[in-house]
Amino acid sequence: MTMQKTRRLIDDLADGLRPVPPRAVERRIGTALLSGMAISAVLTALTLGIRPDLMTALQGSVFWMKSLYVGSLALLAGLASVRMARPGTVPPRWLWLSLLPVVVIAALAGTEMMHTPREGWSALWLGKSWKVCPFLVLGLSIPIFVTLMRTLKKLAPTNLRATGALAGVTAGASAALVYCLHCPESTAGFLLVWYSGGIALAGLIGASLGPRFLRW
Amino acid sequence: MRSNEERLRPLMLAALAGDARSYHEMLNEAAALLRVYFRRRLGHAGEDIEDLVQETLIAIHTRRATYDGIRPFTAWMFALARYKLIDLLRRGQGEISFDGMEEILSGGDFESATMARMDVEALLASLPAKQARAIRDTKLEGLSVAEAAASEGLTVTDVKVSVHRGLKQLALRLRGK
Repeated sequence: MTMQKTRRLIDDLADGLRPVPPRAVERRIGTALLSGMAISAVLTALTLGIRPDLMTALQGSVFWMKSLYVGSLALLAGLASVRMARPGTVPPRWLWLSLLPVVVIAALAGTEMMHTPREGWSALWLGKSWKVCPFLVLGLSIPIFVTLMRTLKKLAPTNLRATGALAGVTAGASAALVYCLHCPESTAGFLLVWYSGGIALAGLIGASLGPRFLRW
Repeated sequence: MRSNEERLRPLMLAALAGDARSYHEMLNEAAALLRVYFRRRLGHAGEDIEDLVQETLIAIHTRRATYDGIRPFTAWMFALARYKLIDLLRRGQGEISFDGMEEILSGGDFESATMARMDVEALLASLPAKQARAIRDTKLEGLSVAEAAASEGLTVTDVKVSVHRGLKQLALRLRGK
């Protein structure tokens, strides 16, 4: 009886078959990421405001140091998320590469300290916005996290906690990239602590929500 | 004879390109493999197995974009199957393999068989009388289902269902539920 049902199910499934475009997983996750980032960018412009000196900042190296740092983290975590969207996968070994940008920024922060008198150190690490930065990054990561998780749930992750964590880090890092449009801070020390803090927070939340919200 | 992988992967690749006929053939073969896969892990709980087969087939269909054509297809398919199986067990609806039950019921050497039989009697006492009788007749006394049905004045289906439900209960109890 039930085997007949299975046979009928197979007929139905084969009946409406549509071809799958190549690189479908990459495309879907990429689309989710970009659309989430677009929402975050609009939110940034409407609520926080774009920094008025953006055009000048684009010509300096600080803006690019910040963007490259969080951008590279977003890229690595995003690629790892693509991997995790397939069943039976574990986080890729090359994920340790994401330590590289962290080490570079830490080295830059060290250089900053050497070139700054002791009384300026707290400004290096705390800037003007350390109290809000991680939470703004976290807040901006919400739309991205939601679009990513919805897409991942429709794919086939089997390691839900790791997938959630990577989705969280991807959302956090790309939210931080968007946040660069607003944030006027300019030191590597600030970036290292508070940006990374926001991203890590997003990753932790992702890990805790993964098992519940990614189930299929 | 070619391996499952050698047969199924080309069919799946054709299916991803939109070939419904290859897809149909692949799904049929996949269903047979999945049935064996789940039966080995769950024992003879017929309903559960076919449900899992269907759920996995649906997962193959709706999540086929996640199959990476350069990787083994059967590994991908069984990863989906494994996820569905674990999900079922996690929901607490699945039951452990009856192999353990069978071993207890058929027994090994005499002493352990006797001890097992005593345990089984204790376990059977905890079941509804009808299920206990059905299991005792078919599994311990060695009657056929038809003979058991005749001796109890029941239909064959009735006996089969009683045995199935009874074993399911016992398996749950042995797991400590």
